[in-house]
Amino acid sequence: MNASSHTPSVTEEAQKQTMKHSCEHHAECMKIIQSILDDEATEAEKDHFRENMDKCLPCIEAYRLEKCIKESLSLKLVKKPCPQSIMDTILTKVNS
Amino acid sequence: MSVAMSESITTNGYTDDLRYEIFNREFMPHIDSMYNFAFRLTMDEDDANDLVQDTYLKAFRFISSFEQGTNAKAWLFRILKNSFINDYRKKSKEPSKVDYQEVETTYNSEEASDTTYTVDLRADAVQELIGDEVANALNALPVDFRTVIILCDIEGFTYEEMAKILDIPIGTVRSRLHRARNLLKEKLKSYASSMGYDS
Repeated sequence: MNASSHTPSVTEEAQKQTMKHSCEHHAECMKIIQSILDDEATEAEKDHFRENMDKCLPCIEAYRLEKCIKESLSLKLVKKPCPQSIMDTILTKVNS
Repeated sequence: MSVAMSESITTNGYTDDLRYEIFNREFMPHIDSMYNFAFRLTMDEDDANDLVQDTYLKAFRFISSFEQGTNAKAWLFRILKNSFINDYRKKSKEPSKVDYQEVETTYNSEEASDTTYTVDLRADAVQELIGDEVANALNALPVDFRTVIILCDIEGFTYEEMAKILDIPIGTVRSRLHRARNLLKEKLKSYASSMGYDS
């Protein structure tokens, strides 16, 4: 009935089975994931990322999570404007 | 705005006119970001107002050390961060402050914790959180960890800019960010759990 929300396809399932379900160098991978998302990765880190990230489930999950947190921080937090009175005070003092 | 008419050359080589021009053109456009940074550091509106005001007045007073064409936003953030440490942190109203050095030492001393460290949190659960919940999780971090996340993820500074703002090496920026994010995940996890988003 309701099975259509997301049933993994046969190929997806097959892919998942060939993927790594645990990562022996996850701590190192976390550092690379951080560098990639911060746009600070070295060429070597980018190469490692390209070659390995689609083969390792824990790293894919970690990448999704880190990306989601980073985007939540930049998009969801309310940015308040500086009160006009503060700007007026600054300009008055600077000009006096 | 009344601009001083003197064309006399100041010690740095900027004329008075140029000082006002730099101030208005390069510094004032960052005032909203500065205000938000101040508010997230002090978590108090009055302190944030004072901190922004103090920072801008200092920036004007020391405008001679600002080099035109360099990153004004990073320069201003550095002044604000220093003012916060020197003038506000001591009287901070932050409850039960965790000593940052202590926290960092704890994390540093357990290199092994890095390799085994994972927080059981799913991206879908984070997606469900609203801005206030994310903000509360961020605010619950010790101020130095909060700071690197604000600078990187909210203000978009590069590691190199962050190193200059915070007066720390780039390697420390990386590791502090890494630890800050692990701590943030723990806080987000407890929010997600309390909201039932992680079931």
